[in-house]
Amino acid sequence: MASAAETQPFRSRRRRRFRERALTGSTPFLLIVPLLVVMATILGYPLYWLFRLSTQQYGLFQLIAHHGTSVGLKNFSSVLHDQVFWHTLVRTVVFTAVNVGLTMGLGLLIALLLTKLSAWVRVLLSSGLVLVWAMPVVVAVQVWYWMTNFQNGVLNYVLTQLHLGNFDQHDWYATTTSQLGMVTLLIVWGALPFVAITLYAGLAQVPRDLVEAAEVDGARPWRVFRDITLPILRPILLILTSLSIIWDFGVFTQPYLLIGQSKITPGNYLMSVYLWEEGYFKTDFGRGAAISILMLFIVALLSVAYVRRMVRIGREVA
Amino acid sequence: MKRAGWNAVGVAVFLVMVFPVFWMVSTAFKPDSQVISLTPTWIPLHPTLSHFTAALDKPYFWRDVLNSLIVVGVTVAASIVVALLAALALARYRFTGREVFIVLVIGIQMLPQIGLIIPLYVVLAQYHLVNTLTGVILTEMTFVLPFCVWTLRGFLVGLPKELEEAGLVDGSTRLGVFVKILLPLMAPGLVATSIFAFITVWNEYIFARLLLNDQRKQTLTIWLSYFSGTSRHTDWGALMAASTLTAIPVVVFFLLVQRKIAFGLTAGAVKA
Amino acid sequence: MKRRSIVALSVVAVLAAAVLTATSVAATTKATASSITVWLQVDAQSGWPGVVAAANQQFQSDHPGTSVNVQYQNWGDHLQKFDATLAGGNGPDVIEMGNTEMTKYMAAGAFADLSSFKGSFANSSNWLSGLAKSGAFNGKTYGVPYYAGSRVVTYRTDLFKAAGINKLPTTTAQFALDAKRLLAKNSTKGFSPVYIAGTDWYFAMSFVYDYGGSIAQQISGKWKGLLNTPRSIAGLNAYKSFFAAASRASKTTDETHPNPYDVYAQGQAASMVGPSWFSCCVGKKYTGTTAQFVMPGHVKGQSMPGFLGGSDLAVPVTSGNKALAADWIKDFTSTASEKALQAKGNIPNATNLLGNSVNERAASRSWFVPTAKHWVDVENGNILRNMLAQILTGKLTVKQAASSASDNIASVLNQP
Repeated sequence: MASAAETQPFRSRRRRRFRERALTGSTPFLLIVPLLVVMATILGYPLYWLFRLSTQQYGLFQLIAHHGTSVGLKNFSSVLHDQVFWHTLVRTVVFTAVNVGLTMGLGLLIALLLTKLSAWVRVLLSSGLVLVWAMPVVVAVQVWYWMTNFQNGVLNYVLTQLHLGNFDQHDWYATTTSQLGMVTLLIVWGALPFVAITLYAGLAQVPRDLVEAAEVDGARPWRVFRDITLPILRPILLILTSLSIIWDFGVFTQPYLLIGQSKITPGNYLMSVYLWEEGYFKTDFGRGAAISILMLFIVALLSVAYVRRMVRIGREVA
Repeated sequence: MKRAGWNAVGVAVFLVMVFPVFWMVSTAFKPDSQVISLTPTWIPLHPTLSHFTAALDKPYFWRDVLNSLIVVGVTVAASIVVALLAALALARYRFTGREVFIVLVIGIQMLPQIGLIIPLYVVLAQYHLVNTLTGVILTEMTFVLPFCVWTLRGFLVGLPKELEEAGLVDGSTRLGVFVKILLPLMAPGLVATSIFAFITVWNEYIFARLLLNDQRKQTLTIWLSYFSGTSRHTDWGALMAASTLTAIPVVVFFLLVQRKIAFGLTAGAVKA
Repeated sequence: MKRRSIVALSVVAVLAAAVLTATSVAATTKATASSITVWLQVDAQSGWPGVVAAANQQFQSDHPGTSVNVQYQNWGDHLQKFDATLAGGNGPDVIEMGNTEMTKYMAAGAFADLSSFKGSFANSSNWLSGLAKSGAFNGKTYGVPYYAGSRVVTYRTDLFKAAGINKLPTTTAQFALDAKRLLAKNSTKGFSPVYIAGTDWYFAMSFVYDYGGSIAQQISGKWKGLLNTPRSIAGLNAYKSFFAAASRASKTTDETHPNPYDVYAQGQAASMVGPSWFSCCVGKKYTGTTAQFVMPGHVKGQSMPGFLGGSDLAVPVTSGNKALAADWIKDFTSTASEKALQAKGNIPNATNLLGNSVNERAASRSWFVPTAKHWVDVENGNILRNMLAQILTGKLTVKQAASSASDNIASVLNQP
């Protein structure tokens, strides 16, 4: 039989281990509490409101009366049976793919370019990128419209001067493809600085000596990029891609303002414009809530592949 | 390719990207007739400051600058801290509900903001935070936090665990490891994230407009919106001048912190 | 284990608290008789701040101890803000609404009934019919006319003289002939004798009303689209031929892309049709040679009915200070106030105050949109704009385009 002296240290060791585990066990929770508090305070009610309203007939009249009539899933079924919804969805998915592809591709190229520049050019280019980033979206849309308008836009002038064709009085907003093309250019232009600078910051974390050692060994730049840089950059690339998908899918200000209310039709709707026009502009809040929730699920679906991969990366490391 | 070659490409990219900004600034100095002329005027030969004076004449400009600075300053500082804590939890710990938490955080980003306008107003009215800067700050934090958490986690995950373990072996506490080893390495990531937060909040309009009614409490983006909110004609020259003014603080902030990103390059070399 | 669940529980508690406290929504603002809130559009701040200040002064001398908090709004988002306050409180006591925006909100019960105060508003028995109609619903008064604006022709006196036009046109047909003369003398590409944007429905519908047609009418409770009646079609045909003779503008863009006054200031238009304030922005070069006249109709001696745009003032039903709000409106629409607005180029709200400016003469014959709950949906759905684009580009015949637009409008207006 063990003496009391022998069992004593064993119990206290167990208690200490339990305390340690409890501490490390609760540390992560303590770390995320501030975030949760802010989120819950601000978004708790809106989320509840969104879900509740999506099952109600809730227009202006009901808003003023603070009371809607329950209609079950009628809002959802009416949206899902709407041809416009499906056409808009397809259009938005294609639009998102093009935008994200261009943004990430060009962003990575610019980030790589930044690493190759002398200090003064680097500061010049990165300051220029920040200038672009700093421009308020509403102003950027206005400037973009000026540059591309058919009457006296710089774009038509320059293209004609460069003898790329006769673009005099060419209306870039005449067809849906052209309209969305202009919107794409504007959005990619506006999104590049953020992607480029964030990727550049990520590249800055690649240990210089590893790269140099590989180059000394005779590895070609592409191998170096693929085997050393890319793995380190992968988490950030995944994050930026998933964020870009989410943002480009739900983008509103640029298409709405650049195309303009008078030219917005179901034929050139993007999802958020559809949400705005069919829900909030018509003050059919119940329908708007239903569309918001559908958008949430669709975007979640589109980005699940990237989110999964990111979560998995975290799992390996932690 | 030689350095000079890359530099040339860099300058070319700069010119292409910056052109619309250049157009905005140049228009701010053009006399009215050149603003609407049929043939574009690249650089105004007779620049005028009248648009800038017209812009500064609009009521409450300096007050609104102060309000914007307060909102942005507090939001960015608080968001970085809160996000960093959460990012640490996600990147370095295993805990139940971790995956749910991640999905929740990224899910917030997926909500279409327009859909939240009315209920957000209702809840803030309940807390008596309508027409207060605090209400705007809390709202901004909510929308900026998910991105910050995500990005900071990405940077953290990219840092090799061996560094921390080496530090722990050396005898420092977990907190010590964090402050002495992780934080400096994360500098580029922190800077990039804070730049993003700064710009996003500085340019935020929808919720600031919704929540702030008193012109003395409004932010600069609302001040800017008055130029084009009228049913009469918009003074484009003044709008461009006003927009140029609102972009300046962001550029200043960036120039102050951009050196920190380069810092990371050398830090990586020293560490190993 | 325990700590984890404590943290988890507290998170749930915060969430629950947030939901519970927020579900009890306050319907009315706390009624403080110490101040009232007024929402005016930013047009007032930049255009006639003195008028606002004078009204505030008058109000405060009548109600010492109550201050007026004027908050300026943008046309683009003021309705979304208003919706939010209808749901969450802290809304204004007085709100400026565009006259086409009123019906929808009146039908939803957003405004307080001001019928009992009507007698106290200056000149209320002489209110301009176009504006008064926009503020009335089911026989009650919810909106007080604030100011109006009509459409006039702004023209280059030097170009007209050079083209030999010594007398201003008195019929649309004469104007079309004058346009030909202007075109002969000004042959630069893209030059418009009369700049009219293709989808400017405010101007196009004037032709419809000039010929006795209309957009829609409510017959025994149901809305019927009237654009495909013979008279309306005659008007649309008249518009089509006038456009062909007079305007080189794009057939598919609206009246803000580009702004007609920008085209005018570039020297690319001899005249343009639009609100009278267009004269502000014709450029330094042409300010001296610019004047205005009333757009003639197709019958000699009759002006073309102009769209009467304007604003009304209403008291939201959520306000706790209805009597004070009505009193402020009374001060802001007093005869002196309206005369001051008139001096700034606006049309005052009553016929006995009308002067002889071009803007006011143009308002003598006016038309207004159908006062239907869902009219804004017709506007936002660009039904009229699309119809005009189809007519002008020849995609559809006038009859086809008008018929489909008519059916469209009826179905939108007849929504529950």
